[in-house]
Amino acid sequence: MRPAVLAALVLVLVALACYPAVGTGYGLRSVLQAFMWIALAGSWNLISGLTGYVSFGHVAFFGAGAYTAGILIASAGWSWPIATLAAGAAAGVLALAIGGPCLRLKGPYFAIAMLGLNEVLRALVSYFEGLTGGGNGLSMPTLDATVPIYYAMGVTALAVTFGARLIIGSRFGLRLMTIREDEVAAEAMGIPTFRHKLVAFLLSAIGPGIAGALTARDQGYIEPLSVFPLATTITMIVMTLFGGKGTVWGPVLGAVVLFVAQEMVWARYPYIHPLLFGAIIVAVVLAMPRGILGLLQLKYRLPRTV
Amino acid sequence: MNIVITPAMIGQVIISGILSGVLYSMVALGLALIFGVMRIINVAHGPLLMLGAYTTFFLYSAFGLNPYLTVPISMAVLFVAGVVLERTLVFRVVDAPELSSLLLTFGISIALVNGAQLAFTSDLRAVEYITGSWVLGPFAFSKSRVIAFVFAGFLTGGAFLFLRSTRLGKAIRATSQSREVAMVCGIDVGKIHRLTFGLASALAAAGGALISVIVAIQPEMGQIWTFKSFLVIVLGGAGNYPGALLGGMLLGLIEQLASLFLTTQLSEVVAYVLLVLVLLVRPTGLLGGRQT
Amino acid sequence: MAPALEVADVHKSFGGVRAVSGVSLSLERGRIHGLIGPNGSGKTTLFNCITGVERLDRGRILLDGEPIHGLQPYEIARRGVGRTFQMIRVFPELTALENLLVVTRGPRAAAEAHARELLAFVRLQDLAGEYAGNLSYGQQKLVEFVRMLMRDPSLVLLDEPAAGVNRTLLNELLDAVRRLRDAGKTVLLVEHDMKVVMGLCETVFVLDHGEKIAEGPPGVIQSDQRVIEAYFGR
Repeated sequence: MRPAVLAALVLVLVALACYPAVGTGYGLRSVLQAFMWIALAGSWNLISGLTGYVSFGHVAFFGAGAYTAGILIASAGWSWPIATLAAGAAAGVLALAIGGPCLRLKGPYFAIAMLGLNEVLRALVSYFEGLTGGGNGLSMPTLDATVPIYYAMGVTALAVTFGARLIIGSRFGLRLMTIREDEVAAEAMGIPTFRHKLVAFLLSAIGPGIAGALTARDQGYIEPLSVFPLATTITMIVMTLFGGKGTVWGPVLGAVVLFVAQEMVWARYPYIHPLLFGAIIVAVVLAMPRGILGLLQLKYRLPRTV
Repeated sequence: MNIVITPAMIGQVIISGILSGVLYSMVALGLALIFGVMRIINVAHGPLLMLGAYTTFFLYSAFGLNPYLTVPISMAVLFVAGVVLERTLVFRVVDAPELSSLLLTFGISIALVNGAQLAFTSDLRAVEYITGSWVLGPFAFSKSRVIAFVFAGFLTGGAFLFLRSTRLGKAIRATSQSREVAMVCGIDVGKIHRLTFGLASALAAAGGALISVIVAIQPEMGQIWTFKSFLVIVLGGAGNYPGALLGGMLLGLIEQLASLFLTTQLSEVVAYVLLVLVLLVRPTGLLGGRQT
Repeated sequence: MAPALEVADVHKSFGGVRAVSGVSLSLERGRIHGLIGPNGSGKTTLFNCITGVERLDRGRILLDGEPIHGLQPYEIARRGVGRTFQMIRVFPELTALENLLVVTRGPRAAAEAHARELLAFVRLQDLAGEYAGNLSYGQQKLVEFVRMLMRDPSLVLLDEPAAGVNRTLLNELLDAVRRLRDAGKTVLLVEHDMKVVMGLCETVFVLDHGEKIAEGPPGVIQSDQRVIEAYFGR
């Protein structure tokens, strides 16, 4: 990384770290949400952007994390930081359980299987009422932890992004991309594609699990509809596609730009923005399949780790 | 839980399963056609069904039209919508990697659902036209489902007749066998793609029109149909059109059976596990299919 | 000593169509073998069976005396079977260098040096940083070829190496294949260009309708009645 870029990055990080001292409650919450979207989009990118296996149900890990933390906090009385870590682990375990069978399916079949996953988890959560409160939801004891949660979410976003930087810069990351490019050829080259996909899927689930836990703690109340919305999956997909799938900073760019646009412009027309998200997906796929960063990368021959 | 299963209950399950199964077959046939001819999994198939249901609803509530008379209108409207969609957007990803077509139709599906939310609001709508059941011995036949069964049966039969006997139908089948050969034979493949997409949308619309009498209408009603239609083609054998018939019946029966032992909530879980299992064991579907 | 590769009574059908039925052949270490036959005679299917892309319906495949049928494709590749494809299959959005790097382990600097060496071997060193998808057809073919060599395979399977390649490039490729043979590697190639097969191979196997109908040195094969019939009809 060039020194100027590095310096700018450090400056942004310092500013964000100091922000809670000066920011308003609304501002803090907005940045917190931006962090969440960076973590979610960056995580989706790890499996879908790199291997090309489209996860249409990634919010499942967000919801699983929210419920794990919610139950541990509300019923078992765990402190939220520990519960959050446990939620990340639980999301990882869920990813292994689902990925084990589903990642053996070829691309489109996997996508459809993931499309159904959301409904299934929502149904399961509603069914096991004793544990989850079912449709009545689950309330956690009140606690004002917005500032620590702000930092926790920020660290999560940072970890996902730098994790992606490490992976994409490595030969492991290149091998994940060979699965996207040509899975049969990758196998013929001696790359164990299933194992690679599973690891990518596992890594891509932990971030959303943690983000789900933090969001649950922040809101203090969860219910099946609020933590498994298809809209969340849609949003992470749109952000990643827009910014540039398969790149390090594309999901960050997409998350920030679209989140700001959503807050500033579309918030006034709440029904328009999901519609616009659909339109953006269509437009990006047709006109700019590599997204903004992918396009710049190709045009200016930027290194892969941008 | 202690459930006593009587033969009458089994009979009822079979009846209900077959009644809803044909509806599944019809809607899934549309998805199978697009998959077979264009090699695209149309994630927007369910939302097109939703639009069909709304068409029926508005014709019914605004003009007092008999909902069953709206079926052909609904189909015609969605046929045109399907052709337009293909002509403007979908044709661009026919030869693109699967990732593109999946994401594109996913984007279309989101736009349709949210456009419907914007235009029609999320309020639940209902077409209350016919309720109750005909009782025959120990068995009950839900009136609306029987009528839907008859319609779906005729439409599916008609679709097969069209595919089997007409020039265009043969051209569609030829294109799904091999696009190159179809081209060499002078078939306008672009036209066949548009026709297929229109036809598939019309079949989805018929499904929407028919179930509008049975269940509540709302913008998000469609998505689960994409999933179920896909399950039907997988059960029947991808790329194998008659397989969709069998797959629909199978799904209908399995769902009804599951609801006998489990709550309705979990019947979706059963369907899901089934999908993954079938895909793992027979990636080309139970009846097998062509190798691609 | 066991043959480099032994294919014993291999069967494979799709639906009702028998693509390969009862083929047996054995490859001698350090020699170049040709696999020929009319279109649809099962050559590529046999390749796919050897490399684990297709599961056998029946039969055995032994590499240096060890059974490899039933292994995953990547396991077979790791045991030293390298292949190229009929339609080129490079990773288009990876650079030429990255195409080679993906198979390496251990220190990256050494791996990169090795990859650059192989690219230089086919005179592509200056295009190492170019996306493989932007290379010409012939260059992609070369990338695919040296990518296969990255693992230093003991058995090399080439699916139509001469197809769509100009004279100069072809001679380079054939030369490279001979050098592989001289380095002790076993080669099996599917090829339609009879000149290539006859000039390069020491043993030729002929498939027709999924069955092996002849085997022998090129000169003998050329005058074999069954082979002539298979190609030109009765």
